[in-house]
Amino acid sequence: MPSANLLGQSLLSGILAGGLYALLGLGLSLSWRFLRIINLSHFGFIFLGAYLTYQVATSFHLSPFAVMLAIVPLLFALGVAQQALFVRFAVNEFGSLLVTFGMVAIIESLIQYFWTADFRRLESGYGTLSYRIGPLFLPVAEALTFLVAVVLGLAAWAALRFTYLGKAMRASAEDPAMAAAFGVRERSLALLVAGTSAATAGIAGTFVALTATLAPAQIYAWIGVIFAVVIMGGLGNPLGILAAGLLIGVSEALTMALTSPSWAPLVSFTLLIAVLILRPGRV
Amino acid sequence: MHVAYGDAPALRGVSLRVGPGELVSVVGPNGAGKTTLVNAILRLLPIRQGTVRLGGEDVTSADARAMRLRGVALIPEGRRLFATMSVEENLEMGCYPPSARRYRDEGIARVYAMFPRLKERYRQQAGTLSGGEQQMVAIGRAMMARPRLLLIDEPSLGLAPAIVEQVFETIRAIHADGLSILLIEQNAARALAIAARGYVLEDGRVVAEGPARALMAEPQIRAAYLGEGDAADPREGGER
Repeated sequence: MPSANLLGQSLLSGILAGGLYALLGLGLSLSWRFLRIINLSHFGFIFLGAYLTYQVATSFHLSPFAVMLAIVPLLFALGVAQQALFVRFAVNEFGSLLVTFGMVAIIESLIQYFWTADFRRLESGYGTLSYRIGPLFLPVAEALTFLVAVVLGLAAWAALRFTYLGKAMRASAEDPAMAAAFGVRERSLALLVAGTSAATAGIAGTFVALTATLAPAQIYAWIGVIFAVVIMGGLGNPLGILAAGLLIGVSEALTMALTSPSWAPLVSFTLLIAVLILRPGRV
Repeated sequence: MHVAYGDAPALRGVSLRVGPGELVSVVGPNGAGKTTLVNAILRLLPIRQGTVRLGGEDVTSADARAMRLRGVALIPEGRRLFATMSVEENLEMGCYPPSARRYRDEGIARVYAMFPRLKERYRQQAGTLSGGEQQMVAIGRAMMARPRLLLIDEPSLGLAPAIVEQVFETIRAIHADGLSILLIEQNAARALAIAARGYVLEDGRVVAEGPARALMAEPQIRAAYLGEGDAADPREGGER
């Protein structure tokens, strides 16, 4: 039996990992629900954001957060362009899975071309910084990631619930024709969702650069667990994503502490299957 | 208003008009093209041929959103509420265009005065309401748009007779406030009873039109749609 300290530290790192999962999954969930696009290239966008953060921050000695401010509009534009392409070629939900699988492979190749397959690590000073709280260590970069995930999740929730645009998105996802008959501009709304979703990938990318070592093949490392988080959280439900991220993050961390790290991936998928059996019809 | 809908099988050269403050009913059997007509007016379906005019303006090239902005609102067949959204959110979609939002509070107060039941349930998901309550939301949502032309498609569909009675009473009350209404209804006796004029639609064509009273008096129509005054089941004679 591990010590209370170890358990506490595992719990903390699980909570923080949950924040990262929620941050990575938020945009995926929004575009799945409101655009009916299952966007695998979201993971490519995240790593594009991560590598750009790494490159610009390293080359110009800038704060990664300053770089993030430039990445957000860039990724927004990329998301809008991608959605315009989907509309142009009338890509449906299942087709989007195939098309974006191709896109993520292209992004991976581009990243490999520019940055090679070597591991890259952003030396920002945040990576190793941590605070001591009693017997526990709080890593600053991970804590910031968690904070941003919560802020973005709450902002998305509030926007969907309290603004006319958010309500229009929900209405349009349910019945596009009826939403149009009441004045909703579905196409421009879809571009807004796509751009916002890609922008969150850019933000997530900066935090991936802060907390992880980058390699092109890592793009695929998170897909499984993030899909579990997105489906468990309920499509288009930002608070659900936060809760699911925390649940999976904490379960994984405790599994690692109590058994061995190799069991961790099993946990997320067991939880996912349990949710799908107990509450079918979530997708 | 004049609607013609090209060579598509659904509507073949239908022409009708609704005057200011007039309540006009379109009756006919299942599959006559009644809902197609509504969808064509709102441009949820493309019009192949013909023109749509609204108060003298040619709006044939407008889209659904443009029709909404010009004051056309719909109470659709089967209600089609935004089922996972609350009652109040559904009503708010009625005043979605930015120019309409300043009437939100006033409109919601008016709808709640008309249907106190909705006020009690304003946070409830619309999909969990009873059929009659859902119809109230659908009516309220359309009224939030402060329309100058209200399209009502099969308001009695799937509702209990007592509720249908209330719904028609509400339509009569709304019309008494001076609203122009185009009422599409399979239940011909009821629809013609509250209308000034009527059209009978069959197989995508207008086969009879005129003052509602005159239509109701015509023996052929009585036989086909009014089935000896048996208003509860007008389908019998309609399908051939």
